[in-house]
Amino acid sequence: MIKINDLNFGYSKHKLLFKNLSMQLSNGHIYGLLGKNGAGKSTLLKNLAGLVYAQSGTLEVLGYNPAKRQPALLQQICFIPEEFYLPSVKIDAYVKANAAFYPNFDHAYFATLLAEFDIPVGQKLINMSYGQKKKLIIAFGLATNAKLIIMDEPTNGLDIPSKAQFRKIMASALTEDRCIIISTHQVRDLDNLIDTVIMVDENSIALKASVEEITNKLCFKRVKEMDDTIIYAEPSMAGYNAVMPNFHQEDSKLDLELLFNAVLAEKNKLKPIFN
Amino acid sequence: MNNTFNIQRFGLLLKRQWLEFGKIYLITLGVAAGVIIAFYGFSLYGLLIGERDFSARALNFREPLFLIFGFLFITVIASSYFAHLGQKPKAIIDLLIPASTFEKFLAGLFFTTILSSVAFLLIFFSIDLAFVSKLRSVFPDWNFTNMIGTKPESMIIYFFNENKPKEFTSIYLIVPFFITSIFLLGSIYFNKYHYIKTTIAVMIFSGIWGYIIVNTAELVFKGRVAIYRNSSIEVDNPKLWAEIGIFCLILLLTAIIWRITYQRLKEKEV
Amino acid sequence: MEFRDNKAIYLQIAEYVCEHILLGKWKTDDKVPSVRELAVELEVNPNTVMRTYELLQNKNIITNKRGIGFFVADDAITQVKAYRKTQFMDDELPVVFRNVYLLNIKFDELEARYNTFVKENFNP
Repeated sequence: MIKINDLNFGYSKHKLLFKNLSMQLSNGHIYGLLGKNGAGKSTLLKNLAGLVYAQSGTLEVLGYNPAKRQPALLQQICFIPEEFYLPSVKIDAYVKANAAFYPNFDHAYFATLLAEFDIPVGQKLINMSYGQKKKLIIAFGLATNAKLIIMDEPTNGLDIPSKAQFRKIMASALTEDRCIIISTHQVRDLDNLIDTVIMVDENSIALKASVEEITNKLCFKRVKEMDDTIIYAEPSMAGYNAVMPNFHQEDSKLDLELLFNAVLAEKNKLKPIFN
Repeated sequence: MNNTFNIQRFGLLLKRQWLEFGKIYLITLGVAAGVIIAFYGFSLYGLLIGERDFSARALNFREPLFLIFGFLFITVIASSYFAHLGQKPKAIIDLLIPASTFEKFLAGLFFTTILSSVAFLLIFFSIDLAFVSKLRSVFPDWNFTNMIGTKPESMIIYFFNENKPKEFTSIYLIVPFFITSIFLLGSIYFNKYHYIKTTIAVMIFSGIWGYIIVNTAELVFKGRVAIYRNSSIEVDNPKLWAEIGIFCLILLLTAIIWRITYQRLKEKEV
Repeated sequence: MEFRDNKAIYLQIAEYVCEHILLGKWKTDDKVPSVRELAVELEVNPNTVMRTYELLQNKNIITNKRGIGFFVADDAITQVKAYRKTQFMDDELPVVFRNVYLLNIKFDELEARYNTFVKENFNP
């Protein structure tokens, strides 16, 4: 689905944000893109959608070069930006003007999604709150039946019931021929939804592994005392929340926050485990 | 699938752009109509209620109004078309609409160059016609044949008749394309204050060019005499040649500016 | 469904399915929810549910009828019990034993407790 090879990217020529970044993503997965502020999560997503151009390297999405912005590829991309603008028209006028560009647009599915998200049809876009608008473009994007779904902080601005709705909708949106990439700060919103973790840090991919691979190789658990096998730990109420190599084939639950901090703090210890 | 141009997709794009652009368009058009009517009403009020007698001078305001206001109208429209691409949230959604860059560019040309010029001509013409017919009905006995050039005819016809040489008509037709192309480029080139920046850029550019041309001309031609006799090219109609030359030059410049605009649109990043 | 922190999600989903079978909500030869349906209900990745179903298939708790979906296996209840027993022995008993040892609890005391518990809860 996506092949990135030796990508070099920077907003200025002297300071590169990505250096020789390579990665492959395939369909049938929900990728969770994590990283510190300014690590380049949004920029990576924009590269995939052809909104920015790399200095060098190759990028292939569904066999196309996204930088060319060809309609055949754009029809297959659903990009939900963190900040967006919608014209001040009614929902049906918006859909009428935009849906026809997507040959696979599913009006019935769109109506279902609106109902699930509790968005009244016939409402004017300008009178809607940020969260409602966000739900609208998510519903629209999914109804295009695009193969590549890119979401930049989709749960920002959603209230608690909407977040649950969002998780349900995304769980049903994942099909064999779709690839979903979600960037997020709020890992708790999505930690059961993603099946593969991608972490960007210091100009490259610090970690890319499926949840299954991570929990096969690492064990996340509460311990009373620190010992040498522990890779990274954070103090908690009763001892420590720790990450350690999974010596005993334990099936622990992935703690994304803990993993995130572990990757930032102990990159050198984790690298050999994942190669 | 044709990834460069598809007539059906282009039609969809025009419809979609109208949804976003149409409102501003109609408001601007409404304001323009209001201003034109105000000018006409103010200038012709005395005549229309029969307080004053008709004179040729009464209609003199039309030409500058047509030129200045027409210029303002088409440049304002042109310099707002790609302006929103300077704002990230708007640009992302527009750039990702599944139409080719070429189609998006053509839609820009359609709205700024063709539609705005035609709309302005139409609105000016109809308002003018309305006032002129009213004048004719107020002064039915006026002996038009006595006073050449004072016949209250429609402004558009008047303009092309008056601004002789007649041979330059085709240049008047290309000029709106040229002007809008500059401001369309300005709308994508700058991220903010598109109109002001474009105007300043144009002034600086034309200043520099004027200076260069005047100086080179002086350098090349000063103290020399033009010889027409024995010239290898027989120039039958110098005005025609001048027209063709100027027309081609403006056309070339317009094409170049369009090409740059298209390139900028292609390379736009957010 | 609330997920706990200490166990892999796919195992917690397996428990959820087992619970439904033990309680008789899903009976033998019943169709169990599709991967997608369960994923939506539990708000988890469908691939995780798939992993659960593969596990339960290996344990002979559910069977896959190609093209139709997953069904509760013939002797699912026996299999669930066997599966739960291993789980209990491997995961939960060590924790109990640890406390029994640390708190110095005698086995006959435990036995008496156990008997009253059974009497109160299961033989009214």
